[in-house]
Amino acid sequence: MRSSTVDVVPSGGEAAVASSPQPHPRPRPKKNLAPFWLLTPAALVLLTLTIAPILLLVGLSFTDYDQKSLFTGAFAGVGVSQYASIFTDPEFLWSLVRTVLFATALVAGSLVIGMGVSQLLTRVGRTMRYVVTVVLIFAWAVPNVASSLVWVWLFQPGYGVVNWLLTQARVFGDMTDVNWAESPALAYTAIWLLIVWQAVPFIALTLNAAQTQVPAEYFEAARLDGANEWRIYRMITLHFLKPTLLLVAILSVIWDFNVFNQIWLVSQGGPGNATSTLGIWTYKTAFVGFHLGEGAAIAVVTTAMLMALTAYYIRNLLRSGEEL
Amino acid sequence: MSTSAPPRTAVGAASTRVPQRDRRRGRRRGRRRVGANLVALIFSVVWVFPVYWMINTAFKPRPEVMTAQPIFFPQHPTVSNFVNAFEQSNFLLDLRNSVIVVVSAVLLSIVLGGFAAAALSRFRFRGRRTIMVVILAVQMLPPTALLIPTFLVFNELNLLGTFVGLVLAYVATVLPFSIWVMRGFFLAIPYEIEEAAMIDGAGTWRILRSILFPLVLPGIIATSIFAFITAWNDYLIAYTFMKDSTMYTLPIWLASFSNPQSGTDFGGQMAASVLFSLPVVVFFLLIQRKLVTGMSAGAVKG
Amino acid sequence: MRNTRYFVVGAIGAAAALTLSACAGSGTATTVPEGAEATIGTPDGAGKTLTVWAMDGDLSTASLEAINAEFTKQTGAEVDLQVQMSWEGITTKVTTALATSTPPDVFDLGNTQIPGYAANGGLLDLTPYKAELEQGGTWLTGLELPATVDGKLYGVPSFAGDRAVIYNKTVWAAAGVTEEPATYDEFIAALDKVKAANTATDFSAFYFPGQYWYAGMQWVWDAGGDLATFTDGEWTAGLSSAEAQTGLNEYLEFQNTYSVAASQTVDIHAPEQTQIFADGKSSAFLGTSAEVGRVKEANPALTDADLGTFPFPGTSGQSQPVMIGGSDWGIAAKSKNPELALAWTKIAASPEIQNSFVYATDGWIPNSVEAVEAAQGEGMSPLTAGFFAAALNSRATPAAASWPTIEGDLSINEFFAAIASGAQSPADAAKGFDSHIESVLNGN
Repeated sequence: MRSSTVDVVPSGGEAAVASSPQPHPRPRPKKNLAPFWLLTPAALVLLTLTIAPILLLVGLSFTDYDQKSLFTGAFAGVGVSQYASIFTDPEFLWSLVRTVLFATALVAGSLVIGMGVSQLLTRVGRTMRYVVTVVLIFAWAVPNVASSLVWVWLFQPGYGVVNWLLTQARVFGDMTDVNWAESPALAYTAIWLLIVWQAVPFIALTLNAAQTQVPAEYFEAARLDGANEWRIYRMITLHFLKPTLLLVAILSVIWDFNVFNQIWLVSQGGPGNATSTLGIWTYKTAFVGFHLGEGAAIAVVTTAMLMALTAYYIRNLLRSGEEL
Repeated sequence: MSTSAPPRTAVGAASTRVPQRDRRRGRRRGRRRVGANLVALIFSVVWVFPVYWMINTAFKPRPEVMTAQPIFFPQHPTVSNFVNAFEQSNFLLDLRNSVIVVVSAVLLSIVLGGFAAAALSRFRFRGRRTIMVVILAVQMLPPTALLIPTFLVFNELNLLGTFVGLVLAYVATVLPFSIWVMRGFFLAIPYEIEEAAMIDGAGTWRILRSILFPLVLPGIIATSIFAFITAWNDYLIAYTFMKDSTMYTLPIWLASFSNPQSGTDFGGQMAASVLFSLPVVVFFLLIQRKLVTGMSAGAVKG
Repeated sequence: MRNTRYFVVGAIGAAAALTLSACAGSGTATTVPEGAEATIGTPDGAGKTLTVWAMDGDLSTASLEAINAEFTKQTGAEVDLQVQMSWEGITTKVTTALATSTPPDVFDLGNTQIPGYAANGGLLDLTPYKAELEQGGTWLTGLELPATVDGKLYGVPSFAGDRAVIYNKTVWAAAGVTEEPATYDEFIAALDKVKAANTATDFSAFYFPGQYWYAGMQWVWDAGGDLATFTDGEWTAGLSSAEAQTGLNEYLEFQNTYSVAASQTVDIHAPEQTQIFADGKSSAFLGTSAEVGRVKEANPALTDADLGTFPFPGTSGQSQPVMIGGSDWGIAAKSKNPELALAWTKIAASPEIQNSFVYATDGWIPNSVEAVEAAQGEGMSPLTAGFFAAALNSRATPAAASWPTIEGDLSINEFFAAIASGAQSPADAAKGFDSHIESVLNGN
């Protein structure tokens, strides 16, 4: 398998063209200013709207900019004291721990289920394959604002259908009036289910696309050799899936680290600050308490961690054959 | 790998037994397929349930929404929740706002991004790799990191709470991956076509317009849809930047159904969710085949 | 690409310029010498437009239009009325709006939100105009106090709302209760009868969600306690005081006796207490006049004849003090039309508007004691009377800039829920919550 990432597109289609053997762009025979002119507008826009703001964010993190500054314009530089205070604030450290643990649980959950569904798709009949694909696309396509609101409704104390179903299942006793927003464990469970529900389609379809490209002879040969299914999956399927799996995993880590809407709309970071991950924490600091300077410092720390992950991602992207 | 590659001789030696084993395996496979289909069926029912419940609730009259015993099929199906959404609230106004902002942002990003993608795919120059890396890195930034400084800058420039401001914020969100994804589509077009045109004496601009552009058009459309979905779904930026309720976009309208003071009208909210999700679901089904393409740039997060 | 470096340099320059201009920005409000009185008069606003931010669900469109019509008649200026649909995230929106260089001029602000905006310089100081704005009346304490920060007035009372017991007369009559209870003992006796007559496991004689802190605070206030007091520049939390503890213990007993266990950790909207009442799963709850409407909406079979309201009787012998909710009109410090904004606000607070619109049209409690008494004198429906009677004994949350944080982080909800569910004893819960209150209010 040529292991360019975009190779994983199912059954040809135009999408696969993106990965056809790459025409290495050659230097033009004469000096050409065209790329400069073509690039300048987008470069200017990106510099103004993304690079400059990030620099401003760093600057802001060394000030005490707050609500008063917004109203009156007055603020002062405070050096690294914002950083000093967030790193000694146990709430911040907890928030960091929560974010890491929760992101890990999300990535693990969605990868395991995603791999399972991907494998399942290779085993089912044509009709069932179609049904599962459509179901996955539905779950994927529902905008997360809408799905978060649906979740609040599904998990509504007293009238939520999930509460009712769990009560009928008679496993946990009477769940009818359980308030999912009240206990940290329950709030995490509900949000975990929501995010995993929407993350599985992307992972399953991507992995399945890669899986269908594994040459069939390998499986035939292994079966003739008497290898059991689990061994075949481990030795062949996983081997071929590895590059795709790694990229999907890192992307999931980055996305799950950044999850905002689902937590904000389902629990607002509560109860207390139990579900306040770094993103929620930053937002609350910067846009509810309007301590923008402190929020900036937290955002800088988060950005630094994410950029480390991104660097790792890009390295793997290059290794997997993506041409930059 | 090597352990599972069967020695050729084994196949030959086992040739007499093959038919029998194949039949047996066929039966086993058949049983296994039934099992797999069953698992897939259960999975589908579970996975589609939230969507089903959203639609089910949307079609219920008010007394059937909040019941001790959930009603799995509306007994008196009604479209009144949808009619209410159209009539009583700002749905049409906010739909218009969403369309104006999202379409402007997408057009801008696709035009700017298209040129940039052409430059990054058809030319070799110093710094190209750096630019690609920066574009990808920007795409992975935490959302609040851009939100804070943009908020302050827009406030100073009086762009906060304006459509122009929102469009610019969306361009910042979708431009990076638009460049990345479109570059992929450009790369797929054989360089030889251009070369032939160049020999015929065509200039850079003509090559772009009459040769590259038509070839890459399907890719541009797919990228536009990615960009559209991303901007259409944005809640965080609009929620933070827009203050005048006549200028809200649909996600804000949707979330505003939640009313902690007097309780949420779930029938109305689910109907609204259906209306809001509809275009996205249609687009997803349309570009199904291309969905995975945007992956490496993290274009479609869902 | 060689040019990248220059772009970056340019961008830093631009960012620095923005930062500098941010330093230079300042309010444009008219300044009046300290302590001096000033007059509003009737400014000439011909050709100008005043922007007013109102909240959906507060004053009705009819009332707002009446104010606007009078304003246009007096000043000649037009009004651009912008109605906010949701309270959700309102602090963010109001702060954003107040921060812009051309903010809306007049804001409809929740009474408890004012201290935060005022202390940070977002609102215009209205002290010099107080006498003229009061127009001879005495504003309700629950509206005026939170709008007063460090002795200065930052908001003009708009209307008030409060909570009273809403009960199902039919259910109570079936249990043998036909008299509206006036004292705490009569109230308890009535609830005991209702409880005895209705044995369904999911039935609450009085449905009382554990997170319902507005209701919980009534017990603390009734016993003589308070959330926090301000002395010598420092806030001191008071929930551990003997008085407050008495109230909290009474609250715990009442909640556990008359409300189902499932209600101990929930808030009023999940599940909706009006829905529970409408479904016949409770015979009484503490609610607002808007919730009477929601009950009738949820169960059209319940009519005005089935429903009654009265102030929650306190063990003190009086009715329990209620938390006055409501709104004040604030004026943006950066408003470009402060004179016109003052004129508009004065009209909105005038006895004419308060009587004919705030009370008569919208059914809200008007902003002054005089207006409340005038309304009571006119004779009102029994369903409304309970709310007006309750309003005469009112309290408010601490007028501290950072108070909204306590409401925002829901710690106060959890405080009352922890007591109701028995997760913490009133004393333990108060200890933790008191220190949270002090650290937030004193800004540590």
